[in-house]
Amino acid sequence: MSSLAEMLPALLVAVPILLAAVPIVLGLRFERTGWSVAALTTTALTAATVYLAAAVYETGRVVHVLGGWGETADRPQGVGIELVADEFSVLIALLVTVTAAGVLAYTRVGGPRGNTFYTGYLLLIGGLLGLSLTGDVFNMFVFLEIVGLATYAMIAAGDGPESAVAALKYLILGTMGASLYLIGVGFLFMATGALNMDVLGEAIPLVAEEGGSDLTLLRAAFAFIFIGFALKVAQWPLHTWQPDAYQHAPDGVTPVIAALVSTVSAYALGRIMYNVFGPEFLTATPYLTEIVVTVGCVSVLAGSTLAVIQRDVKRMFAYSSVAQFGLIVAAYGLVTQTAFVGAVIHLIGHGVIKAGLFVAAGVVALGYGARTVDGYAGLAEHRPYTAGSIAILLIALIGIPPSAGFIGKWYVAVGAVEAEVWPVAVVIFLSTMLTLAYSARLLEKMYFTPAIPVESPHSPGPVAADGGTDTGADDHDGATALGRDSFRRGSPDAVSIGMLGILVVIAVAAVLLGFAGGAFFEWLEPFTSEVFTE
Amino acid sequence: MTEVADPRPLAAVLVSALAMCLIIASYRYPNVRESWSVVAALAKFGIILSMLPGVMDGTVYEWSLADSLGVEFLAGIDFVLRADPLGLLFALLASFLWIFTSFYAAGYMRGLDEHAQTRFFASFAASLSTAIGIAFAGNLVTIFIFYELLSLVTYPLVAHNEDNEARIAGRKYLAYTFFGGGVFLLAGTVLVYWLTSSADPAGEAHLAFESGGIGMLAEAAQADPVFAQAAFYLLIAGFGVKAAVMPLHSWLADAMVAPTPVSGLLHAVAVVKSGAFGVARVILDVFGPGLIYDLPLSVPGVGEVGLNIPLAILAAFTLTAASIIALRKDHLKRRLAFSTTAQLSYIVLGLSMLHPLAILGALFHIPAHAFGKLTLFFCAGAVHVETHTDYVSEMAGIGKRMPLTMSAFAIGAAGMAGMPLIAGFVSKFYMLIGSGSVGGGYWLFATALIVSGILNIAYLWPVVYTAFFESEDRHDAKPLLEFPPGGKRESYFEDDAAVATDGGDRSDEKPESGQPQPADERDDETEAKGAGTPETVNDEDEPEYAVDKYPSDHTVPEDAETHDDHAEDHHDHGDHHHGGPPAGGWERHSPFTESTWLMIFPISVIATGAVTLGVIPDYAVFLDLAMYIVEGVFGVDSFNELHDLSLEEAMEVIDR
Repeated sequence: MSSLAEMLPALLVAVPILLAAVPIVLGLRFERTGWSVAALTTTALTAATVYLAAAVYETGRVVHVLGGWGETADRPQGVGIELVADEFSVLIALLVTVTAAGVLAYTRVGGPRGNTFYTGYLLLIGGLLGLSLTGDVFNMFVFLEIVGLATYAMIAAGDGPESAVAALKYLILGTMGASLYLIGVGFLFMATGALNMDVLGEAIPLVAEEGGSDLTLLRAAFAFIFIGFALKVAQWPLHTWQPDAYQHAPDGVTPVIAALVSTVSAYALGRIMYNVFGPEFLTATPYLTEIVVTVGCVSVLAGSTLAVIQRDVKRMFAYSSVAQFGLIVAAYGLVTQTAFVGAVIHLIGHGVIKAGLFVAAGVVALGYGARTVDGYAGLAEHRPYTAGSIAILLIALIGIPPSAGFIGKWYVAVGAVEAEVWPVAVVIFLSTMLTLAYSARLLEKMYFTPAIPVESPHSPGPVAADGGTDTGADDHDGATALGRDSFRRGSPDAVSIGMLGILVVIAVAAVLLGFAGGAFFEWLEPFTSEVFTE
Repeated sequence: MTEVADPRPLAAVLVSALAMCLIIASYRYPNVRESWSVVAALAKFGIILSMLPGVMDGTVYEWSLADSLGVEFLAGIDFVLRADPLGLLFALLASFLWIFTSFYAAGYMRGLDEHAQTRFFASFAASLSTAIGIAFAGNLVTIFIFYELLSLVTYPLVAHNEDNEARIAGRKYLAYTFFGGGVFLLAGTVLVYWLTSSADPAGEAHLAFESGGIGMLAEAAQADPVFAQAAFYLLIAGFGVKAAVMPLHSWLADAMVAPTPVSGLLHAVAVVKSGAFGVARVILDVFGPGLIYDLPLSVPGVGEVGLNIPLAILAAFTLTAASIIALRKDHLKRRLAFSTTAQLSYIVLGLSMLHPLAILGALFHIPAHAFGKLTLFFCAGAVHVETHTDYVSEMAGIGKRMPLTMSAFAIGAAGMAGMPLIAGFVSKFYMLIGSGSVGGGYWLFATALIVSGILNIAYLWPVVYTAFFESEDRHDAKPLLEFPPGGKRESYFEDDAAVATDGGDRSDEKPESGQPQPADERDDETEAKGAGTPETVNDEDEPEYAVDKYPSDHTVPEDAETHDDHAEDHHDHGDHHHGGPPAGGWERHSPFTESTWLMIFPISVIATGAVTLGVIPDYAVFLDLAMYIVEGVFGVDSFNELHDLSLEEAMEVIDR
């Protein structure tokens, strides 16, 4: 078993990237092979990840040294490429593969179609898995770029000029983030002469102890890396690419991007902070935790506030992601074991919930013709299953137990109180209310606002008034479609059983994960206890 | 006290959750759907009742997720449901009253031909499920879970009307209750978790309720009194929101836009009592009277006062102020809502006085108030269904039309005021004795109780008076309601005429629509339509969105004008049916024809219950149970040991 398990990390990264070429090659002869190839690949990847997770559970860390190069007798020499599967990375890899496989249930009918799209899809998955499994900070940059490039392509797959602009925006900002990260890695290499995370993790405390100019390099490295990731994770005020990207990406793409791309970047940030720099460096450097925590808290507040005032549902969810990742970054900054576990759980929980919400947004756009908050009026009556799933997911997002959202918040809150950082604790407790503010808006629209008013002479009035703003076109969809259900309201037939099925499954999963609080803690125990006792 | 692993607490919670699913599934068949409510209510009550003998003998039934399924809910925290005496008191009460409320709700919703009845009944069953969950929750995290869920599932009931007013009330409701639950209660729970786990040598958190207070918390409080005090007030604030303690009370009056069965069972019993129950849990089973007494708060200028004193002062203020506000509410349900606010503070006040007798009174006030207030709400609802009258000022002479209902109302009102022979007297009696036994500054609280009792009479008696002793064409002005403070020279009669004109079209039909309709006839109607489906076709005499949907329509300006001279709360509630007597005055009805049996039967049973609790409290379980709880908290074998103790002596008993 061990030999297969040791091969798996490399296969998990290489297979999707290699198979990405298959849809194009087959596309020369057949028209629609992309989906099948992607489905087969992601299913196989899921199975492989589960197998890998089982191996990690039994034997602990699984390390794959690429090509066997750089392996010395007892420890890696620092620049060889390593792929590491431990409790933390396997958890994220599981999220990646399962989500990637699940979302395909949506894209089969909901699109985007075409073989090249699935090429991009598989590239993205390969990059994400690489980012999760890599044990080497330079390689991390490579995978960041792969993920970035694939994401640009996928966002640009949407039709209309907005998608192109959004993709361009992400291209510029995302590349800047990756470049900042690379500068940080350069400084790290200057200070320590190593790129391997384990080696760095051992070398950094020594350098920090020595002090002097190398310590300054380390601090500069951390600053560059943190800001680079703050961009990738979309922390306020570096979040501006994200709402556009999420809103204008095709409906089938947003769930993947929203659930995975920022999540895996946030995972990478956590990996770098805790495995490379280590808790000691974080707490010893003046103002470091304060700054990290402040960035997180401000993002929570700003993201939620911006979410409340959005009219477009996908945009609202995008700002909500800014806020939720703020919570995770703030938890990283607390540097306690409980808060770290909370951050990891919230990464997973938020990924699942957001994937569900964006699938739902796609289903509603397709089957109900609504993209704005106002357009969701009466959804509960006409599309009970969709509305029910959205309601459950929103409730989970607010953090009402039992749900995935609650357990993450619980551990983060306990961590904040343990660290006795009261302002953060206050923000975390208040984040319930902030999330409620935008979630309740949608809940109220779906359940307590009738869609079809009786014949009204005033109906053109509000539309005309609304037309003054940019979103007039969207509103038009929502408001005047009332009353002419069959004509304007999208077509329920466009929503396949698979789409609805995956939505319901995700909603159920979001609730069931709420019972796994103890299990997550136990699962991460070997990792966290090693990190925090060093 | 022996603990027995038993799935019955879980079954009691799940039975109505299951009913919720069945209700949704059978949305096409209203009769089947309503029968699920009744069946679930009976089953729930049966399950809970079956645990009563065991609990009275000192057994605690417990079901835990970790023991039965091996799932750990959160690290170091189990998901536990346990039926202890205090939980059983609340569960028994809520499940018993649910039986009758489910009949009443069916009568009410059908009588008004309400929309979205399936959602209503499903949410109602879910609310009961979570309320029982709160009752049986075995630790702070479990109670938090159900507390949050309760807020969530009652939201559809508050926003039921789907008009602007209901939506705004719903938002307010969500904001208040989640601020209480998601922020205060969670923060308090996390603090207790942190305090106990850092005090425990093994690093384990202690969140499970222990009769008389969590031991480890007492140790932690010695080390960190400030955080313990903060935790206490956070927890109290969290539960205080639902118990409508004063700065946090204003959601309750607004939530009265909900259909009356909701206002009755949930916003007088299950939901608000879950807040009061939570306060009881915090005071009796988390901190314990001993620790609260020993953890003085140093207030600048006053010196050290007990942790309980600020809470008691707040409660005393609430019960006085809310009673005064109630005096000026013309909308009957709002008047009752403020009365609820006041009565809940009785419970909080009794608990925070810490004396065993006061605690006993407070615990007994939970059922006593429930029976009385449910009667009052049921009556208000019956009046609304039969005559569409919501305002006290329009109820002159309504006693002829609804003799039995208004008699029951009189009984409930007497109970609220604490008249002997009705349930409210017994609890208030114990609370007064309790505050008297403590003496000292506690006389202030006794005074507040008595003053509030008088105010209760002042705001509820006029309703009874106007119903029975005035007639629709000859009645006195209601200076408190109609005139601005300070008085105004004006007679009621001009206004009355205006009301009559305005409501003219309705009142003409009143005899017809006011007639009680045989229940089965109604059934056919709803069944044919399929109550769960949207009702686009409306009754001819009642266009669905006549007023509330299109405010620009003809009725509103007139409406606002007419009500201008009424009390101010007409405005915020001005969009409902027009009430008041029909043109020819109230018809005289016998008690048996005034409404459908679906409404008369529950009203009579609950009113009888209120009297029973007042006349023979010793035989009616609840007092026994309350005594048993107090014995457990103070760790004595018989309540008699606690009778003549002063507060200090009682605290020594608990420390032993």
